[in-house]
Amino acid sequence: MIKALAVRCWNFLASLQVTIVALVLLMALVVLCTLAQTDLGTLGAVNAYMRSFLVWRQMRGLPFPLPLFPGGALVGLVLVLNLTAALVKRFDFNPRKLGLWVVHAGLILLVAGEFATGAFQVDTRMTIEEGQTVHFLESYRQMELGLSDVTDPAHTEEYGIPDPLLRAGASVPVPGTPLSIKIKRFYVNAELAPRAAGDPPSMANMGVGANVKITETAPAASDKEGNATSAFIEPVAGGTSYGTWLVSSVLGAPQSFIHEGRTYLLSMRPRRYYLPYAVTLKKFSHDIYPGTDIPKNFSSLVHLSNPAKGEERDVLIYMNQPLRYDGKAFYQASYGKGDTLSILQVVANPGWLLPYISCALITLGLLVHFCITLFNAIKRRQLSGETA
Amino acid sequence: MKLSKLFTWLPGLIALAAVLATALPPARIRGFDMDKFGRLPVLEGGRVKPLDSVARNALLMIRSKQSVPFEGRELGPDEWLLDLLFRPQTADAQPVFVINDPDVLGLMGLKQSANRYFSFDAIAPRLQEIENQARAAQALESAQRSRFQNAVVNLYERLLLNQLENSVQLGDSPGLYLELQALGTPQAAERNKSLAGAARFRILAPLPGQGPDAWQNTGEGLIAANGAAPHPALVSLALAGAGYKAGQPEAFNQGVAELQGLTANLRPQALRHADSEFLFNRIQPFYLGMVIYVLALLTLFASWLWRRDLLQPAAFSLLAAGALVHTVGLVSRILLQGRPPVTNLYSSAVFVGWAAVILGVILERMYRKGFGTAVAASAGFASLIIAHHLAMEGDTMEMMRAVLDSNFWLATHVVTVTVGYSGTFLAGIIAIAYTLRKHIAPTLDPATTRTLVDMTYGIVCFALLFSFVGTVLGGIWADQSWGRFWGWDPKENGALLIVLWNAVILHCRWGDYIRDKGLMACAIFGNIITSLSWFGVNMLGIGLHSYGFMDQAFWVLAWFVASQLALIVLCLMPRRFWAARTT
Repeated sequence: MIKALAVRCWNFLASLQVTIVALVLLMALVVLCTLAQTDLGTLGAVNAYMRSFLVWRQMRGLPFPLPLFPGGALVGLVLVLNLTAALVKRFDFNPRKLGLWVVHAGLILLVAGEFATGAFQVDTRMTIEEGQTVHFLESYRQMELGLSDVTDPAHTEEYGIPDPLLRAGASVPVPGTPLSIKIKRFYVNAELAPRAAGDPPSMANMGVGANVKITETAPAASDKEGNATSAFIEPVAGGTSYGTWLVSSVLGAPQSFIHEGRTYLLSMRPRRYYLPYAVTLKKFSHDIYPGTDIPKNFSSLVHLSNPAKGEERDVLIYMNQPLRYDGKAFYQASYGKGDTLSILQVVANPGWLLPYISCALITLGLLVHFCITLFNAIKRRQLSGETA
Repeated sequence: MKLSKLFTWLPGLIALAAVLATALPPARIRGFDMDKFGRLPVLEGGRVKPLDSVARNALLMIRSKQSVPFEGRELGPDEWLLDLLFRPQTADAQPVFVINDPDVLGLMGLKQSANRYFSFDAIAPRLQEIENQARAAQALESAQRSRFQNAVVNLYERLLLNQLENSVQLGDSPGLYLELQALGTPQAAERNKSLAGAARFRILAPLPGQGPDAWQNTGEGLIAANGAAPHPALVSLALAGAGYKAGQPEAFNQGVAELQGLTANLRPQALRHADSEFLFNRIQPFYLGMVIYVLALLTLFASWLWRRDLLQPAAFSLLAAGALVHTVGLVSRILLQGRPPVTNLYSSAVFVGWAAVILGVILERMYRKGFGTAVAASAGFASLIIAHHLAMEGDTMEMMRAVLDSNFWLATHVVTVTVGYSGTFLAGIIAIAYTLRKHIAPTLDPATTRTLVDMTYGIVCFALLFSFVGTVLGGIWADQSWGRFWGWDPKENGALLIVLWNAVILHCRWGDYIRDKGLMACAIFGNIITSLSWFGVNMLGIGLHSYGFMDQAFWVLAWFVASQLALIVLCLMPRRFWAARTT
């Protein structure tokens, strides 16, 4: 009884109906995801439709969202299971179908690669000015409260508190320093304006924040606009308070205080990830076609210095030619400051090779299948020729 | 037997001869050698091209046509450019601006009438008002503008394009001769500076010792001539300009001949390139190909009514002639641009049609039922007419932006994906032929039905292969340039939809969930998916791939989708369901 049920389930899982339904669902998801990009931005739409197991929708009058549609991850999983089951069930070592088996194995790998990307890919960026040496990456979305000890002009000691820890009411000790930071208020996104005469007094009593009016706003939806993340903070050390400061990613002016002879700079900045090596921008080039402003090429000549491995070399990063190093790929992404600043996109994706392997498999499979079909056709023709 | 065989090839040969005849130079107009003028190479838009290309593209953008009727004659693009450059008062009286929008006409105090073309002189009194309206509209995103605002911005941009007149000498200049004599005076310095900034093309070829990109416009040339020997081409250009203005063909022809000789010495390669492109412009292979495809289609329709044995091969010979012209055009474009065939939306239309035609020709040779000719000719005609309309959006051989500047990926990813589009469309067109035949043909020969189904099945397999490989290659390119294999960008999603749909069709067929009729209906649905992925994506205006800008095309696309849905219903209905049935 149970065995019969299991067989039926197994047969269903390996059936062509499941394949077709899953493919059609995937098509519907792709259409929905594409249309949703105008409202949610690419990343938002992909997270809502493709990288989720269910597509949730908040209905009016209901306190909780309802799952309305299977998400891309679920459909992908079903497709992989269906394909694997079909491969196992129908695999009969018939050499005529060898090519098709290889193609479908490659397809499984392709979907697996997209899962790996969704789960493990980390996108960061590196912003360097010509002549500057940088040894950290910056997050696109996460922010951190930066504390820079600038006492020694030759060497700045950097400390950072990532934004998940920046919750109102929290008091976060800064490791390696005698300081701890009290978070009085935190804004994921806010609008800042000069304080007018009639505005209520600012929470800040130190630095530029005393003259700034701040209004909380919804987090940015589209990929283009960033958040103006801001916070009111109070540095405390050994029972002494250094006042309440406003820090924000849109405030450029440096704000600092001195504790026991050491000067600390406060800032709200993109979260940093430090590297065991350094990159120096030697030259950024922005070539255009003569007589136009159509860009022909962007390139960054950088110097890579990794003393631990004894590596010292120059690398040219340009369009369609990233630098792959340390499990990361550095791409030429953008530029600024009158062509003296280069922005590199840095992607770490442990599964980046999967699509390549999968493509090779699929190409091989198609080739094998084509050769087999051709061979059979020629044989048939010869046979019919002989009988005629 | 032999004679009739010759006769069947005759229409194709005649068509080819007619195409060759268009390459012959026309008679001189009013004695001026405008041909030679049109062949002069200039640097514009980042590459060397003949003046004729500059003139054609500008006139096409301004007037949506490549000629202007004036004083009882049709002016060609070269003559129009000459008037604009050297007789601006005459050019300003020519009806070149096409205005269709009733509100824009209203803005100029005009009523909508049969005359849709207006001269610069007619528009001039309202110039300030148009500029104010356009500036206000330009502050908005194009998707948020009203129809009137889009139309007024469009008119304003065309008026700016008309500023091409300030490319050799300023509109109010007394002529290059006097400019050369006036060098050194503060007024002349002022004029030359504004000319150097306003000139749209660079006509003075690099002198010996200068780099290949060191072309100068006349303004720059005049500034450099102050206190030094002028660029020799400036003097010849002055002679040609003065000759044209004064109506003296001998002086003009001599000046142009001198210019040509100078360029031949300085940059022989540029002159050769300009010559080839000039010929390409004059023959207009894609336009002629379109005409020949229509003839093939009409001949084929006639063959179903009369003398099928004679007319069907004749139709095929016309198709072959059209395909040849189409191919030669495509190859010329590749050679002229030095790029693989697909570089923008326009060229993708030309290429999609070409691939579909070639597939259709192969099908016709395999099955010889006339259907191959029918679908190939309609595919070729439809794609070239789309390309013809896309060409109105501007220059078709522009330079490739940095990230796209990779011949390897353009040749592999873009071409494969585009062939996949062609295949999907071709399958859809065969399915439409199947549907129409099912309801129209007096009797249905089962062997032909079998052939149509087999053709469609084969083409869907072919389309799946190419669209899949093309999409995956695109992923690899994206990984190389943007750091991700797959980004769910709208254009990528469009390509994925085509792959998925072809896979769905084949799996349904293999599982026996659909038979002939279902396969055909699915293939027609493939037309909808391909058209949305090809053009619809550009209307969303998001993503890295949105390179085409199309507003009016939205309704065309909507109508196309509706027509395909109707055809699917027709395909699924019983044969001649509307006729009364007797048992």
